[in-house]
Amino acid sequence: MTAPALRFRNVGKIYRRSHLGRLTETVGLTGLDLDVEQGEVFGLLGLNGSGKTTAIKLLMGLHLPTTGDIEVLGKRVPNVDVLARIGYAPEAAYLNRSLTGREHLRLFAALSRVPAQGREAKVSGMMAQVGLAHALDKRLSEYSKGMLQRASLAQALIHDPELVVLDEPVTGLDPLAIKEVRTLILWLKGKGKTVLFSSHDISEVEKVCDRIGILSGGRLAKTMTQSQWRQKPDTLENVFAATVKRTDGVGEIRLD
Amino acid sequence: MRTLVAGATAIAATLAVQPFLRATAPDFPPLSSLPSTPYSLQDAALVSCGLRTVAADLAWMQLLQYSAGGLPDMPDRPGRPYDHVKDLALRVSRLDPSFHRSYLFAAGILAWFKNVDRPDEAVEVLQEGLRRDPGQKSYAMYIAAIAYKKKGDVSKMTAILEATLDDPHTPVEIKTILANLYKSRGDFEAALRVWRAILDDNTASREWPRARLQIAEIKNLESPGRGQ
Amino acid sequence: MGTIKAVFTYTFREHVRHKVWLSSALFGLVLIMGGMIVSALAAEERGRILLDLGLAANETIALISIVFLTVHLILQEIETRAVFLILTHPVVRWHYLLGRFLGTLAAVSVGLAAMGIIHWGLLHALGWGGEGSYLVAWLCSFGKVAVMGALALLLSLALTSEAAAMSFSSFFWILGHFTGEIRFVAEKSGSPLMRSVLLAFLNIAPDFAHFDYRNAWHIGTIDPHWALAATAYAVAYAGACFILSVQVFEQKEF
Repeated sequence: MTAPALRFRNVGKIYRRSHLGRLTETVGLTGLDLDVEQGEVFGLLGLNGSGKTTAIKLLMGLHLPTTGDIEVLGKRVPNVDVLARIGYAPEAAYLNRSLTGREHLRLFAALSRVPAQGREAKVSGMMAQVGLAHALDKRLSEYSKGMLQRASLAQALIHDPELVVLDEPVTGLDPLAIKEVRTLILWLKGKGKTVLFSSHDISEVEKVCDRIGILSGGRLAKTMTQSQWRQKPDTLENVFAATVKRTDGVGEIRLD
Repeated sequence: MRTLVAGATAIAATLAVQPFLRATAPDFPPLSSLPSTPYSLQDAALVSCGLRTVAADLAWMQLLQYSAGGLPDMPDRPGRPYDHVKDLALRVSRLDPSFHRSYLFAAGILAWFKNVDRPDEAVEVLQEGLRRDPGQKSYAMYIAAIAYKKKGDVSKMTAILEATLDDPHTPVEIKTILANLYKSRGDFEAALRVWRAILDDNTASREWPRARLQIAEIKNLESPGRGQ
Repeated sequence: MGTIKAVFTYTFREHVRHKVWLSSALFGLVLIMGGMIVSALAAEERGRILLDLGLAANETIALISIVFLTVHLILQEIETRAVFLILTHPVVRWHYLLGRFLGTLAAVSVGLAAMGIIHWGLLHALGWGGEGSYLVAWLCSFGKVAVMGALALLLSLALTSEAAAMSFSSFFWILGHFTGEIRFVAEKSGSPLMRSVLLAFLNIAPDFAHFDYRNAWHIGTIDPHWALAATAYAVAYAGACFILSVQVFEQKEF
C-alpha cells in the first residue's frame, strides 16, 4: 500500500494579531485530519472563511501550523525540497507584471529546478500548451485576466509535478475557460497526478472529483466519495447546504 | 544556529574594524566650532546629509559673493568694510580644512585691501590654516609678508608675495595686489608680468578686463601714447 | 546558486523596466545646470566645485534610490502576493532575499556608474585635472549604498510599514553622517549615562564617515589599509543587517 500523497494530522491554525498591545486570535483551522491518496482528485468545498485557503497555505509552507503535522509526498512540511514536486496555482494570478510571459515562465522553471538544458524548449512548449504561444514575448501587464490565469497554471505545471494544488481555479472564469480547466484536471488525473483543489462551485467539483471534503468554520465537517453524490441529482448541493454555516459574518439575503 | 554564528561574526567584524577606521578618518572640526552666521542651518543640514564638501563649496561661493558686494543677511558695521570676511573664511575652512584658497583669499583682503587694513585678523586666519595643514608653505609666507608690511618694509613684503605666486591656490586677488604694489613702486616691468600671468590664467577670467586696462595703462606710463 | 541567479535576474530586469535609469537622466540634468551656475560663481574653484557637487549628487541620488527601492522590495511583493508564488517553489528564503537584494544593488550600481561616467566625462571636457582617484570615490559611494540598502531592507521587514521604514532609514542615514558630531558630544558630555547612550548609538548606526573619501578628497592620499578596513566594514555591516533580515523573514507567514 502506497503512502498518501497528502496527510493532515490534527492540524490547527490560529492567527494571532497584536495591535497596540491587544492580542486578537482568529481560528483558521481546527483538528483537521485528512488523507488524499496518490492519483486522486480531491475537492475542498467550503464558504469564504471556512479554512480552504488556510489548509492549502499550510501544506505549501506559507503558514506554519499551530498544532498537528502535515506530510506531503511522504515528507513532513515545511520542506523546501518537496516543493519541487508540487505545482501550485493560487486563486488569483499573483505574477510580476513587469515580466514577459516567457521571462515569467523561465523564472519559475529555474526556481522549480528544471534543468537548464532544454528549459527554453519546455517554456515555449508549456506556453503553447496553455494557449499563450502568441503572447510569449508580451508583458504580463498586457495580459487579460484569463491569460494571466493560464500563465499562472503554466508555472504550476512547468516542472511536471506529482501533486497539483489549485486554489479556486474556476473563480471568475468564463464558461469556456471553466470547461478548459475541467479538461486540464481530468488530463492531470489521466497522467496519474494527484490534484487537490478548493472551490465554491459545487457543479464543477461534482464533475471532476473522486472525493470531496466540506470545510465549515475551520473544521472538516464531512467527506464524500463520488459514488455517494452520484446516487441522485443535487445530492452534493443539498449535503453542502445542510453541512455548512456562515462564518464570514455576512447575514442571509432577506426577500421580505 | 548557523545563522546565529554568521550574524555574531558579522557584528563582531563590524565592531572590530571601527577603531582602526576611526583612527584613520580625517579629522573634521565639529559643527559647533563654525562661526555663527545666518547660514548655520544650511551648514548643519548639508553636513548631516553627508555633504560636507558641498557645504564648504557653498560657503566659499557666499564668501566670494560677500567680497564682491556684500550679502543682504550680513551687513557691515559702519566703518568696517569686509567686516565678516574672517568669519566667512573660517566657516569655509572649518567645513573643509583643505580649502586653502579660502585662507589665502581672506588674508589678502584683510591685510592688503584699501580701507580694510586688519592684518591681525589676517594672521589669525592664516594661523588656523597653518595649524590644520603645516605643510602649506604659503600660510607662513603670508604671515611673514604681513609682518614686513606692519614694519613698513615693502620690498621684503613684495619679495615674499612674489614667491607665493607659484602656489596654485594663490587667489587672483593677491596677484592683483602684488601687481598694484609693483606699479605704485614704479616697477612697471614686474607689474606687467603679473598682469600678463593673470591674463594667461583661465580660472582668473573675472580679472581679465581689469588686467587689460592695467596693461594698457602701465604701457602708457612707460612710454606715453603707446598703450592707447 | 541557481535560485539566487534567477531571482537576481528578474529583480534587476524589474528595476530597469520601472525606469530606475531615470535617476541618471535627472542627475545629468542637475549636473549640467548646476555646473553652468557654479562656473559663474565659484571663480578659481570651478573644477573643485563641479567635482564635489557631482560626486555628492551622484551619491545622494543613489542613496535615495536604494532606500526607496529596498523599502518596497519585499513589502510590495507581499502586498501584491507575488511572494506567494515564489515561496511555493523550492526556494530557500534567504536565497530569495539575497537575490532580491543583489538585483536591486546591481540596478542602483549601474545607475551610479552611468552617473559617474557622465560626471567624469563632463569634468574632463571642462579641462579638470584634479588629483585623487575618481574610482575610489565611486567605490566609497557604492559601499555606502550597499550598507544603506541592507539597513533599509532590515527596517522594512522588521517594521512592516513602508512609511515607517522610510522614516527610520532617513534617520539612520543622517545619524550615519553625523557620527563625528555625536562622538564630539559624547566626549564632551559630563554625564556617563549620556555618554554610554551616545556611544551605543555610534556602534549601532552605520558610520558613513568610513566611506568619506569624497569629503576628504582634497585632504590627502589614500591609505591602502584604510581601503581594506572600509571594505571589511561595508561587507560586515551589510552582512549583519542581511542576516537579521533573514531571521525576520524566516518568521513571516504569508
